[in-house]
Amino acid sequence: MKIARSGQLKKSLQGTLDIMEQQDARLIRSITLPNDTQTIPQLAEFVDGVCEELDLDMGTAMQLNLALEEAVVNVMDYAYPAGTRGDILIEAQANDVRLIFTIIDKGFPFDPTAKEDADVTLSAEERPIGGLGIYLVRQIMDSINYERVDDQNVLTLCKQLKSVTAGEA
Amino acid sequence: MKTTITEQDGNLVAKFEGRLDTAAAPQTEQELQPLKNCQGHNIILDCSELAYISSSGLRLFLTVLKNAKPLGSHVYISGMNQELRNVFTMTGFINLFEFK
Repeated sequence: MKIARSGQLKKSLQGTLDIMEQQDARLIRSITLPNDTQTIPQLAEFVDGVCEELDLDMGTAMQLNLALEEAVVNVMDYAYPAGTRGDILIEAQANDVRLIFTIIDKGFPFDPTAKEDADVTLSAEERPIGGLGIYLVRQIMDSINYERVDDQNVLTLCKQLKSVTAGEA
Repeated sequence: MKTTITEQDGNLVAKFEGRLDTAAAPQTEQELQPLKNCQGHNIILDCSELAYISSSGLRLFLTVLKNAKPLGSHVYISGMNQELRNVFTMTGFINLFEFK
C-alpha cells in the first residue's frame, strides 16, 4: 500500500504549508516506514539528517527526534489493525522560518490531538505507565494539526526555527 | 543500546549505553528484570552514557521506581546530560526520582 499525496490532499495541505513556496524551501525530504517500531532508528537517522542540513543544535535535534518518535510510534501502534502491515509517510519541509513534519497514513481515522494531556504533576504511585507520547509532542513542537483527507490521516507538526535574519532574532 | 547491571557498594547499578528508544525498549525491559528483586538494595540508574530516551524508556524507569518504592529501595539517577534532564523536566519525572 503505497502512500502518495493525492490532488485533494495536496490542495488541503496548501493551507497549512502555504509558507512553503518551492523557491523558498531550504529542504524537502521524505521517508516511508512500515508500522513496525523496530524501524524507529531509521526515523532517527532521517530526523538527524534533516537537523544536520538545517544546522540545528544538538539539543533541538534531540527534541525533534523525540517529538517525531512519539508521533510516529503513536501511528505505528494505532493506525492499522494489529498484525496488518501499513505504511507511514513522513515528510520534512523547511524554510528559514520554520520546519514542518507531515506524517501521513492510510489507517483508521485517528486524531491524536484529541487526546487529553498527561498529568505530569502526579506522584510515582499515581502515575499511569503510559500517556506521555502526545504530551511530549505538544511540549516540543509549536503547533500540531490533524486532518482527515482522502481517507488518510495527516498530522502536521511545526517548529519555529530561530531566525538567522537580523531584526527577527 | 546496551544495559549492564552490576552490584557496587551494596547498590544495584544499571548502566545504559546508547539510545533508549521504542525499538530498544523491549530488550532493555528484559535486561532490567534483575532489578525486580531489589529488596535491601538501592538502585542507581547510570545515564552517563545514555544518549537519548523517549517515552518508552521513561516508562521502564517508572516501572523500576514503582517496583522499588514499596520494597523500601531508593532509585537514584546519575550522570544525565542536559538534554536528558530537559526531557525529565518536561515530563515531571524530575520530581519522581532522586539524583546523584
